[in-house]
Amino acid sequence: MKKLVLTLIVLSSISFNAFSQTEEKLVSKKTHFKIYSHTATEDIEANNYKAVSTLNTVSGDVVFSVPMQSYEFEKSLMQKHYNGKKFLDTKQFPKSKFKGSITNLSEVDFKTDGVYKVTIEGALSMHGKTNNISEKGSITVKGTSIVLNTKIAVTLSDFDVAFKDGKPSTNIAKDIEVTVVAEY
Amino acid sequence: MFKNKIVKTIFILAGVGVLIAGGIGYYMFNMPHRDVQATTSDYKLSATEIVDEYLKNSAEANNKYLDDEGESKILEVTGTVASISTDFNNQVIVLLKNKNASAGVLCTFTEATNNSAKALKKGEIVLVKGVIRSGASYDEDLELYEHVILEKCSLLTK
Repeated sequence: MKKLVLTLIVLSSISFNAFSQTEEKLVSKKTHFKIYSHTATEDIEANNYKAVSTLNTVSGDVVFSVPMQSYEFEKSLMQKHYNGKKFLDTKQFPKSKFKGSITNLSEVDFKTDGVYKVTIEGALSMHGKTNNISEKGSITVKGTSIVLNTKIAVTLSDFDVAFKDGKPSTNIAKDIEVTVVAEY
Repeated sequence: MFKNKIVKTIFILAGVGVLIAGGIGYYMFNMPHRDVQATTSDYKLSATEIVDEYLKNSAEANNKYLDDEGESKILEVTGTVASISTDFNNQVIVLLKNKNASAGVLCTFTEATNNSAKALKKGEIVLVKGVIRSGASYDEDLELYEHVILEKCSLLTK
């Protein structure tokens, strides 16, 4: 009998932990990454809807995993350049990753509708290189939906993406703007 | 007179050369995207097979399926429909995954093929053709298995 009670206690605590963990850690339902490059010669834009993200509402941890070949450009040639060995080499580095956290989590009330300003800090890995970034963003709570918005400024040379010559060196900006939307 | 003729010919030839080079450049710049559905498939396999291949050795699988310029392999995948949803781009997403599998194949349809995917039911066994964008793996930070991603998908009749 004692054994049975003990087993029940252990089992219920395990299931309780499992339950509370799924409640804290939200998995994205939809995401959108947009990269934008502006130069005098041309503006280049590409969209990616295939990233996966988690948001932990208790610890503030935020993770993004982005399949790099899912970026779609208007022009086929741009897409080939982007994927190519001289640029992001997506065959070698098929995913980019962000691992960080919301630093002002106490200012976000996930239970009350509203728009909350947040600061997100963490490590961005891309093209085999990792750099620390800190960006402003917002969390929008509306009913059961939580949406994270942010913009990340990426300096290509920080990630060993540099073109010494050829057309890309004049047509692609040195700093790229990445707009991120994730719905949990 | 004779000299003039040579000069003239050189000018005409140079002019034609410039036009051809410009034409090629213009064509390259505006080259259309590869039509995935009109291209012959590279591999035919089941959702379980491709997921297992990736979980076993992702480097080897990436080498086999991904392309340097992003024109990766076109696959025909059979699997069981586990869920149907839509993304921010309003494309229909169908997950092919066996009940006991840790990961599956996430298929993104297109404006032209969305309706056929919407009509699917959970548990149905289907054949999907699309281009692979990335493989399956366990991500320690997400604490999740990521699925194989196929895009530009359409349903084929088995």
